[in-house]
Amino acid sequence: MSADFALFMSIVLLATAAVSLFSKRISVSLITLFYSSITLGMIFTIYNGVLVGLLHIVTFAGAVSVLLLTAILMVGEPKLDMNASLGAIATLSAVIVVVALAAYRLLGSVPTNVGPTTAYPATALLQFVWLFRPWDLLILLMVFASATIVVVNLFSQEEP
Amino acid sequence: MVTDQTIFLVTSAAMVFLGLGSMAYSRNLIKTIMSFQVLVFGVNLALFASSLEGQYSLISNSLVLFSILAGACVEAVGLAIVVSVYRKYGTLNPYEIRRLRN
Repeated sequence: MSADFALFMSIVLLATAAVSLFSKRISVSLITLFYSSITLGMIFTIYNGVLVGLLHIVTFAGAVSVLLLTAILMVGEPKLDMNASLGAIATLSAVIVVVALAAYRLLGSVPTNVGPTTAYPATALLQFVWLFRPWDLLILLMVFASATIVVVNLFSQEEP
Repeated sequence: MVTDQTIFLVTSAAMVFLGLGSMAYSRNLIKTIMSFQVLVFGVNLALFASSLEGQYSLISNSLVLFSILAGACVEAVGLAIVVSVYRKYGTLNPYEIRRLRN
């Protein structure tokens, strides 16, 4: 796999994790955490860790998400107590600083011509997307979108 | 040249600090559990990415398997504690729970 793919999956993983932690609606938080679990499982599976990826998806996107959903339904709080925007800004600032330092440290010590063998040499940005079958991607997107709408409606009916 | 291992290690560092920071200022116990899950994701990604360019992939995969199972067990127990605490105190704010306990 090319570095574009790793960058794309990392951006998706970080975005879903950040939205799940900093969103004020519990349904959005739960759905994005589910997507984050799916994304990390896909990363494991694609990079030759099939058993680890499948176990990760089954455990976190399946069992733990259902546990979280059950606990939230039992508690029954429509909105979380998230009046800590200053803390969120401080956390994001600290994360940006740490990531910048880590990237500087890692990029400074990485040799230039070491890397995994690329099965699909990508010459353009995001070219790996077109290597997959588009109908499969479309069906996956439809399934995820319908599941998202169902869960959002489930939680929105409980709000006064 | 930026390799996949570098990208994933930087991502895992970001996720670990994101989870730690969110755990630090969270006022809701369910949100604390979610932050812990993000932290576990970061740790798993770091363990997995550490063997992408080496020859210890089996050790790394077994460590990730162990980490997945341990993290899932900890989260299940934590959610059970959260539900029991909510039944007893009626709130999920840890500061409010501390005030009600005293």
